[in-house]
Amino acid sequence: MAGREDKYAKRRLKTSYLSTIVGVTLVLYMLGLLGLIVLHAKKLSDYVKENIGFTVFLNDDVKDVDVIQLQKSLDARQYVKSTEYITKEKAAATYIKESGEDFVTFLGYNPLPSSLEVRFGADFANSDSLKILETELLKNKSVKEVSYQKSLVSAVNENLRKISLIILGFSCLLLIIAIALINNTIRLSVYSKRFLIRTMQLIGATENFIRRPFILKGFVQGIIGAMVAIILLVFTLYFAQKEVPELRELQDAALFIKLFVFVTLMGVIISWASTYLAVRKYLRIKTDYLYYH
Amino acid sequence: MDSITQQMPENTIIEISNASVYQNEILILSNVNVQIDKGEFVYLIGKTGTGKSSLLKMLYADLPLVDGQARVADYDLSTIRNKDIPFLRRKIGIVFQDFQLLIDRSVDDNLLFVMRATGWKDKEKMQQRLQEVLDKVGLVGKGIKMPHQLSGGEQQRVVIARALINDPDIILADEPTGNLDPETSEGIMQLLFDISKTGRAILVATHDYSLFEKYPSRTLKCEDGSVTDTQQPILKETTALPID
Repeated sequence: MAGREDKYAKRRLKTSYLSTIVGVTLVLYMLGLLGLIVLHAKKLSDYVKENIGFTVFLNDDVKDVDVIQLQKSLDARQYVKSTEYITKEKAAATYIKESGEDFVTFLGYNPLPSSLEVRFGADFANSDSLKILETELLKNKSVKEVSYQKSLVSAVNENLRKISLIILGFSCLLLIIAIALINNTIRLSVYSKRFLIRTMQLIGATENFIRRPFILKGFVQGIIGAMVAIILLVFTLYFAQKEVPELRELQDAALFIKLFVFVTLMGVIISWASTYLAVRKYLRIKTDYLYYH
Repeated sequence: MDSITQQMPENTIIEISNASVYQNEILILSNVNVQIDKGEFVYLIGKTGTGKSSLLKMLYADLPLVDGQARVADYDLSTIRNKDIPFLRRKIGIVFQDFQLLIDRSVDDNLLFVMRATGWKDKEKMQQRLQEVLDKVGLVGKGIKMPHQLSGGEQQRVVIARALINDPDIILADEPTGNLDPETSEGIMQLLFDISKTGRAILVATHDYSLFEKYPSRTLKCEDGSVTDTQQPILKETTALPID
């Protein structure tokens, strides 16, 4: 009979411990999931910006050496991600392939100019920067015309800015919710031991001695919660990439590792701080208030 | 340590002069003057709400001393700092009516925890002391039991064993028999009486007047906001006291 009660008491303690870890895990998982969404959104945004078309049409009489010089000059700039020289012939071949009509034979000459296709780094791909570059390039004798969709650049940047703000706001909100939920879970766990803390004080235990096991437990709960949350995040990523293979294009292992370190740190810091504050509250509280606080 | 004083007479363990006891800013007792020597057995009696527990709480620094002077086991309660309170409590054994054992661990672990919390390191000495106190309170062989597996009287004996662990100069017992049947209560009182004979002072707050005749001793009485020191056993007078 006593053995059964003993097992029951131990099971209740384990259940309480596990439910705290489950609470911490779920909140960290939600936080990590939002982190993944933010990272993917950022990569997607960069991908869109880096693929905004910017074409530098060259004069017909431009010499190859001038083109190569211009291309090298563009490649040397930090904000230029890549350049591609499209000769008149290559441009015609592409157009014929796309349209299915051999306009060169029809016209008797190739009217398409040679060009340089430029791709920029995500940070540079905005209307103002492109306008400055356009002005500079137009001064070059080899350049006939610069073409890019100004309205598209503005629209892309404006929409991405709005989406980023929404995601940032949502992230902050979820971070606050995460802190509040983990804090609440741990406070409840410490609350259930408030009389234990009181007893420890009355037998002459110092505050540090009483606090130590709680802090250690909070730390362990934070670590375990974070590890389980990371495992769940890896599974989520795996299944998401299986369903949407394009997501692999946006994958960045270094950023994922940083996210997992962030989740672990959040788990440990929030658990540690919540435990510290909750235990401190019951170390300082008067005995009478233990019954209604 | 500022809060430790050497001014107390060598044989005195508690010395209170002109002290007031407050509970949540309400004055409970005033002009309290009490001196208790080592080895004394003293009753603290009075109706519920007259300030018995508050006086005990003041003695183990759970309530602050606002007015007057009080010294317990060489600690000056008027100047004691928060960080010194655990060390004061190690010199006091506290026994509660509701036991306040650590319910998530066995009797042995309850006692070992107190030892660890109060600076014991040597495992061999800890085991030896554990057996000594369990033997003293008649609980040899019960160390592996969880608190909920013990009777009320046994749990109170564990609490007394816990109070004895650090060989305190004084034991403060707040209604130690309040939750026990008369026969068990007598056993606990006998145990406390025996402990007092080993040189420790015992202050027992109680309103169980039936015990006085069997174990007559000096009595402090809380009444009308003050403490009266009889300096001698209350015997027949106690039967006239209003009992709640």
